[in-house]
Amino acid sequence: MIKTDVIIIGGGATGCGIARDLALRGIPHCVIEKGDFAAGATGACHGLLHSGGRYAVSDPVAAKECYDENIILRRIAEKCVEPTGGLFVRLPGDSKLFRERFLRSCEEIGIPTEVISSTKALELVPNLNPEIEEAIKVPDCSIDPFRLCMLNMRTSKLKDGLSFTRHKVTEIIQSRGRCIGVKATDAATGEIKQIYGNIIVNASGAWTNLIAGLVGCTVPLTLSKGSLVITNHRLTNMVINRLRPSSDGDIIVPNEAVCLAGTTSLTVEDPDKIAITPSEVDTIISEAGRMIPHFNNTRVIRAFSGVRPLLKSQKLDSREISRGFQIIDHQNGMYSIVGGKLTTFRLMAEKMVDIIMSAFNLKRACETAEKPLDGQEELSGYPLSKRLADMKNIICECELVTRKEVERIIEQTGTRHVGDIQHRTRLGMGPCQGGFCTFRALGIMHDMQILTAEQSVQSLREFLQRRFRGIRCALWGDQLREEQLVEYIYLGILAMERNK
Amino acid sequence: MSVIEYDVIVIGAGVAGLTAGTLLAGQGLNVALVTAGEPTACLSTGCVDVCSQNENPLQGIANLPDLHPFHLVSSETILQALTDFQQVMTDMNIPYTGTLEKNRQVISAIGTFKTTCLTPLTMESSPQSIDEKIQIVTFTGLKDFYPSYIISRLQNASFSTYDARVSTTMGIAAKFEDDAFLEAFISWLENLNISADKIAVPAVLGLESATAIMKRIASRLKRPVFEIPTIPPSMPGRRLFNALKDHFRSKGGVIYWGWPVVGVEKAGRLIEAVTAESRGRPNSLNARAFVLATGSFVGGGLHAERDTIVEPVFGLPVHVPSQREGWFDQDYFSANHGIGQAGIMVDTSFRAVGCPWDNIFVCGAILAHTEALKNGCGHGFAMTTGHAAARSCLEYLQ
Ligand SMILES: Cc1cc2nc3c(=O)[nH]c(=O)nc-3n(C[C@H](O)[C@H](O)[C@H](O)COP(=O)(O)OP(=O)(O)OC[C@H]3O[C@@H](n4cnc5c(N)ncnc54)[C@H](O)[C@@H]3O)c2cc1C
Ligand SMILES: Cc1cc2nc3c(=O)[nH]c(=O)nc-3n(C[C@H](O)[C@H](O)[C@H](O)COP(=O)(O)OP(=O)(O)OC[C@H]3O[C@@H](n4cnc5c(N)ncnc54)[C@H](O)[C@@H]3O)c2cc1C
Repeated sequence: MIKTDVIIIGGGATGCGIARDLALRGIPHCVIEKGDFAAGATGACHGLLHSGGRYAVSDPVAAKECYDENIILRRIAEKCVEPTGGLFVRLPGDSKLFRERFLRSCEEIGIPTEVISSTKALELVPNLNPEIEEAIKVPDCSIDPFRLCMLNMRTSKLKDGLSFTRHKVTEIIQSRGRCIGVKATDAATGEIKQIYGNIIVNASGAWTNLIAGLVGCTVPLTLSKGSLVITNHRLTNMVINRLRPSSDGDIIVPNEAVCLAGTTSLTVEDPDKIAITPSEVDTIISEAGRMIPHFNNTRVIRAFSGVRPLLKSQKLDSREISRGFQIIDHQNGMYSIVGGKLTTFRLMAEKMVDIIMSAFNLKRACETAEKPLDGQEELSGYPLSKRLADMKNIICECELVTRKEVERIIEQTGTRHVGDIQHRTRLGMGPCQGGFCTFRALGIMHDMQILTAEQSVQSLREFLQRRFRGIRCALWGDQLREEQLVEYIYLGILAMERNK
Repeated sequence: MSVIEYDVIVIGAGVAGLTAGTLLAGQGLNVALVTAGEPTACLSTGCVDVCSQNENPLQGIANLPDLHPFHLVSSETILQALTDFQQVMTDMNIPYTGTLEKNRQVISAIGTFKTTCLTPLTMESSPQSIDEKIQIVTFTGLKDFYPSYIISRLQNASFSTYDARVSTTMGIAAKFEDDAFLEAFISWLENLNISADKIAVPAVLGLESATAIMKRIASRLKRPVFEIPTIPPSMPGRRLFNALKDHFRSKGGVIYWGWPVVGVEKAGRLIEAVTAESRGRPNSLNARAFVLATGSFVGGGLHAERDTIVEPVFGLPVHVPSQREGWFDQDYFSANHGIGQAGIMVDTSFRAVGCPWDNIFVCGAILAHTEALKNGCGHGFAMTTGHAAARSCLEYLQ
């Protein structure tokens, strides 16, 4: 039996942010996550650190939150944020009226903007559609959600916070109508842990009602699936937005060597049953291709989707629903925290922990906005030049990940999952999507006796199946060719067993 | 633009193109082979898969679906193609073992058994069951070989690691060509006092001399030695390719290496020439007949667009299995992806169905309904259809 003060269900940005805030305010806590950190919407998002521009017209409150957090995160999470800047581009036919409203709202909120000519915009981003009428510059940035979660958890760990990944909360323990703990099942062993606490925070994103439902509560939510595609080139060094009301495929975000375009927005019922259709992929590509024509002939290496839990409102199109967040007090020791964005995770955590502090009758102010994230110093230890110097030990050629880095992650985390290594090193994130390096990473795990060989072959199978889900809908051109090669390697050369 | 005249131009340097080219050159024809680059053989295990769907490859072929292009050739032709191949490889000092009556098993780098028909002699002693006693040798830093995968399946296997001072597949293979290195390796092995019945090494036993190297180690250690094929770059695959290429040249064939075909010149029902690029400059290559052996997607013979599939050289009609949604099954391991059926449909003369020209013959993995991976119709299929297409081409030219 494990005892703590606050139990956090969900290790997305919100849950990890709450853990860090609690740690800095000295409150014992435990994060329970059914996958890895950032396994939900956090890891499936665009990675856009919003300037607020996107919501300036439709939701000024959320836009203001975004802008304030944008400034804070650029300061405290320097190693997670790339200050790319962003452009809102207006294509022929896009409403001029919207442009006026956009500029006015940004001004009212305080988001700095600069209108630039199409010539100037093309100088900044040469791949832009030369037909754009003009562009508006905003302080959008690119942010790495995996790294962000890991670094938030670092602080938690430094202050003795507990965390269990690959543990799924299946039951809330109650006593006299109050929630006093949870039962969580270890995915690897099937063992059930009982964890007791005084307050339970439900930060399970799209799964909010599955958790709230365990104690007979519901939160009025709409689930909206969004899909994204990743290209193998960084076609732009700035975030590109379409200057029009939110619609499909109107944001392109550069991230390391690739870029992400999306999204779509479709209402779904079950957060665990989300598939991407080829037509969604085609829509995103052709819309993104309006802003950056190269999109139409660049290699798409993967597509994926995530689910946003949106607070229900009367409006029908889910894009119009407020992205602002809410904390719901279920009056039984459990709180649900829903909505918001990756950009505002810190603010959400602050508000949540403020409530917890007053429930505990404790006074200690939030410090998360001032203190830089712990552990960022170490991240500078892997510059490209260093990795290239170790070329012969590189096991992921696409992303230049060395054997040493992989071994270090395995040692630090004791992980038994290739996915965990991927989230922490970018192994397998490049054009071949882990086709070659996963076989190697698992071989190393076995050499280090982390896995038995049966387990490594099983993990390899699971990985390939999971990987395939992400690439299946985007297979044509060179990516299809590469995929056929990878398939021949695993099913031909390595003769992996086929399913009947 | 330079203009050169040939009897036949073969496009593609894979097993299919090299087999066809060699047969035609052997008949005294003036043959040129134009290729964009290396074939898939270089990526392969070097083993020749004919049809892995049955213990008996010929029976397996008989059981293939009606539309399978293997049905376009007689079993005599298959036998002829494989016999020729074995003869050539023996002449080139890379002998192959196996027969068309029975498939063999080769142990893979993860300890599974790969079903194939002919194997290089260096894999002849590959275990046929999981309880054979085997000593695996691996090399320090070799990133594509993890003996532990194999040991998980072969209970009586263990491994030792040799430091070759280089750690790439190619680097180690090159070292094995050096006598002093080989001697040092053998002494090291002798000092291990191996009790296992067989010795296994990843396939790095030399660039070209693998058979001799394997035999030398085996005779000194007094037990069979065999290679385990690795993921690309694969030495046995490369040896196979080099041998076929050298043999083609020895028959008088010419190879234009790194010359992708980018255009064609037509006149009525005939193709008169192809244009191939070399260092960005176009060259016109004239011939009386053309053999298209550009492979499937990996080889470059087929190209998938978002909603269709094209054959880039002649723009031949392609059999497109379905809409994109149906190209790939949900289950990765079903090996039942619709895309495997894509390709060019041909008649018994190996001319493309619906093709407006009389002098193009098509062979190898580019053929529709081959499903190379699913059926295990790899090099064996490529050499058979290469053989058959060349015969048909010969008939046309006479
Ligand atoms: C397609 C898409 C693009 C987006 N792009 C952006 C963007 O560019 N910028 C931005 O600021 N925001 C973006 N967002 C929004 C942003 O991703 C989310 O608001 C944010 O990540 C939510 O974080 P979270 O921690 O609340 O939820 P999640 O990240 O979903 O975390 C919930 C976690 O709870 C876990 N969980 C669920 N059930 C259980 C259980 N029973 N036991 C244990 N754990 C459980 C899940 O595995 C999951 O990891 C995007 C969202 C989507 C869907
Ligand atoms: C990774 C992998 C492993 C394999 N392993 C095995 C194995 O172990 N055993 C087995 O039997 N089979 C194996 N196969 C299958 C086997 O390689 C093929 O089925 C067979 O060899 C196909 O031969 P091919 O000659 O038809 O085409 P390819 O080998 O594909 O050759 C096509 C040639 O055409 C050239 N080309 C393409 N376009 C042009 C152009 N426009 N102009 C000029 N040249 C062009 C290419 O450069 C290449 O040289 C494997 C396949 C792969 C992908």
